Amino acid sequence: MYIYLPIAEVSMHIGIIIGLGGGVGFLSGLFGVGGGFLMTPLLIFFGIPPAVAVATEANQIVASSVSGVLAHMRRGNVDFKMGGILMIGGVIGSSLGVVLFKFLQSIGQIDLVISLSYVVFLGIIGALMLTESVRTIIRSRRPGAVRGKLHQHNWLHGLPLKMRFRRSKLYISAILPLTIGAFVGILAAIMGVGGGFIMVPAMIYLLGMPTSVVVGTSLFQIIFVTANVTLLQSIQTQTVDFVLAGLLLFGAVIGAQFGSRAGVLLRGEQLRGLLALLVLGVCAKIGYDLIIRPEDLLSVELLR
Amino acid sequence: MIRLSALICMAKGNIFAVSGAVFLAGIMLFSVLASAAPTRLVADLSESHVDITSDYHGTELLLFGAYEGQPGDDLILEVRGPASDIAQRRKEQRAGIWVNVETWVWQQVPSFYHIFATRQLDEIATRDALMNVGIGRSALELKLVAGESGGGNGHGGGAPTATNGAIIVGTEAQTADLDRNMQGIGLWAKQENAISTQQDMLFRANLALPSNVPSGDYKIRVVHFRGGVAISERTTDMNVRKAGLSALIYRFAHEYSVFYGLFAIVFAVASGWLAAAAFRRS
Repeated sequence: MYIYLPIAEVSMHIGIIIGLGGGVGFLSGLFGVGGGFLMTPLLIFFGIPPAVAVATEANQIVASSVSGVLAHMRRGNVDFKMGGILMIGGVIGSSLGVVLFKFLQSIGQIDLVISLSYVVFLGIIGALMLTESVRTIIRSRRPGAVRGKLHQHNWLHGLPLKMRFRRSKLYISAILPLTIGAFVGILAAIMGVGGGFIMVPAMIYLLGMPTSVVVGTSLFQIIFVTANVTLLQSIQTQTVDFVLAGLLLFGAVIGAQFGSRAGVLLRGEQLRGLLALLVLGVCAKIGYDLIIRPEDLLSVELLR
Repeated sequence: MIRLSALICMAKGNIFAVSGAVFLAGIMLFSVLASAAPTRLVADLSESHVDITSDYHGTELLLFGAYEGQPGDDLILEVRGPASDIAQRRKEQRAGIWVNVETWVWQQVPSFYHIFATRQLDEIATRDALMNVGIGRSALELKLVAGESGGGNGHGGGAPTATNGAIIVGTEAQTADLDRNMQGIGLWAKQENAISTQQDMLFRANLALPSNVPSGDYKIRVVHFRGGVAISERTTDMNVRKAGLSALIYRFAHEYSVFYGLFAIVFAVASGWLAAAAFRRS
């Protein structure tokens, strides 16, 4: 059964949409990631216009982050103060991102920038995760290894506007989380992701937050960033297709259940290693498409 | 004549099967009465309103009609959709990757343009004869505005050479490039040998509308050729509209975009909450 997506203006088999949601939902349940970085390229691959894919995925991430954050809130794993500062940065960044998106779209370079952002950020994050998990796996096989220092001080901690974050046990400058929030917000708006895959490592390695609160806090601020993207894209480009978002979410909810159950069977560093390979695989595919000569060097786009 | 066209309209869908005897009698009468030129021509289509509803996945229409033909006559059928500006871009390899380096905008191009013919177009009439009746991509005389340019050295073939901002008529090569790209996305097509005729009286052709069909008003034109000369033509209308829920959502998103955005957020938050509740219980 085909369904005509009113905003994307293409028809797609309903089984493909729910299947995509389910498959990506399974992986996000398995690895504990949002899955936007998989879903947006897949939607584009299946013929959804890139602008619609990015904006619609933002809408879907609002839903998946809400359902994800509730469990973390119950366990008290959300630092609302830190989340609030990151959110302010994120809302500013994503607003800039939407403006930038529209500009790049008007000069015909949005596809290129989306692809390049994916290649660069997935490449960096994937490589870091892979080396980290391989190192952990090797270290766990050699007993008696030395533990590194938990918290290191550097010049970033000398910035003004210091604030106390009780839940994260931190006393750091608010400029740091504001900047990180803004930077990830720009990427979220352009790439159609929540940005958790950048936010989480940044929270751990740059802010020095305890790992127990990073996922909950990241999800908390992603809700507001993606909601902001949804609203601004709706107003500026009318590219949010909530029929598509709803169907993807339906599949994702079911997929995530199975994924999180399957995740129990694997060890943390093994999961991270597999996720790293997945991230690098997506990065390689998008990078390859940029390098190979297109079948036709000319392309058309209907303007309205 | 009136009786004949009424008959044809009645026979929507499967015209050849409908009471052939009555039909033939009508045609014979009609040929006796109308032996003098110009010849008569009627055309209709199985649906003149196409609704894009939530389950729309492309559709096929039957274009049919009757003409006063002789052996060796030809028909050309042209389906033209609403005009739209179209951006065309050219890629070049820069630092190892393929990037758009040049954009030009075609002015008011038919967003949908399908041509059907009984034979190859060049067998039916000369290029000039086709131009005179306005059939074929060259007859559209499409104009373009050159945009930001990366030199325009014509690597991809057909890159405009005008200075930025000037409106020029597209050359044959440029129009051919546009044709190829538009055919690639299924919006333009040329189907020769795709009109079937019966006894030089009846014709039919299948028009497949793709799932990305632009909405708006369509013009369908049938031209009757004899010995390479157009002897009569007939035009009929069709429109394609979004309808039902998909039309409602589209209008909501475009006319009340702020509320649409807020609605999409509320919808997402609510369904996320519901999903979490269901997840927790199981």
